[in-house]
Amino acid sequence: MMEVSTLTTVAFWVVSAVMLALSLIVVTQKDVFRAAIALAGTFLMVGVLYFILSAEFVGVVQILVYVGAISVLMAFAVMFIQDIASGSRPSQGRAVALIVAVLIFASLSFTAQNTKWSSMDDITNPLASAAMTKGYIELSDGEVIGIDALPMVDEGVAVYENSGVLVDSTGGLGVLLVREYILAFQIIGLLLVAALIGGLLLMRNPQSSSETKTGDTSA
Amino acid sequence: MTIENVLMVSGALFAIGAYGVVSRRSLVTVIMSLELMFNGVIIAAVAFSRFTPAAELLNGDPLTAEAIRSALTGHAFAIFVTAVAAGEAALAFALVFAMYRSSESVEITDAAEMKN
Repeated sequence: MMEVSTLTTVAFWVVSAVMLALSLIVVTQKDVFRAAIALAGTFLMVGVLYFILSAEFVGVVQILVYVGAISVLMAFAVMFIQDIASGSRPSQGRAVALIVAVLIFASLSFTAQNTKWSSMDDITNPLASAAMTKGYIELSDGEVIGIDALPMVDEGVAVYENSGVLVDSTGGLGVLLVREYILAFQIIGLLLVAALIGGLLLMRNPQSSSETKTGDTSA
Repeated sequence: MTIENVLMVSGALFAIGAYGVVSRRSLVTVIMSLELMFNGVIIAAVAFSRFTPAAELLNGDPLTAEAIRSALTGHAFAIFVTAVAAGEAALAFALVFAMYRSSESVEITDAAEMKN
């Protein structure tokens, strides 16, 4: 039902190839700063891949969080620690790592190829099928009707017109996050605060903190 | 572009990340490889959301707006994994800095010997 155009397929393969090439640079490059640059490029390509998979909001989050924040964090780490300017040496377990990686990829691709994935064509309800790409109308009493049935709605009933969830995913995702997953959403906030405080505690200079401690006890 | 293709790409990214985690000695590159693995997982989640229907849409129950929105569960999962990965990266770098300050080294083999 959701046809994939030739252009999309070409874009997918080009972006995937660039992404995998950049990620190979990340794990093989000796110069850590160059690896960090390649990592930022990989994140950007992954973001483009989300746009190709029609997940616009996830793509924007990817670019904001990964390209904007984590890459900068990596660059800071590389610049602060002068030691790694000498280069990241590979460990002795290189052959083992290669075998493990090949086995992981082999098992994952075997599973992907040999599983009968259900497809969007399996949706038998034409209303549900239309809600994926064309759109649907939500009535105030919770009923869902097709986008063409709008003139049939009685007067005085509130209607919410939505475009297809897979075509315009941002609105649906917003509702999903604050309704069905509100608890997980709140816990993520708690987790980020905990990570922030933990990071600050770890980064605190041990000398200066012990000085303030003794100052506190004497006062 | 089928779900098999996208899952292959995500698996390849995950495997490359796994190779980096095991083969590199510097903690900074290990964390970079970990982020690659995170990204591979998120690509798989988004791919499932895009290509496979939610179970709520396949059963014969009357259609509700919740069932329609459950088609985006993979996107919500991707957002949560991204948030966890961001927190993890911040904490991991704080740990690397703390280790660098105490032992002037960011190599994994030195981390094994570090007591405090």
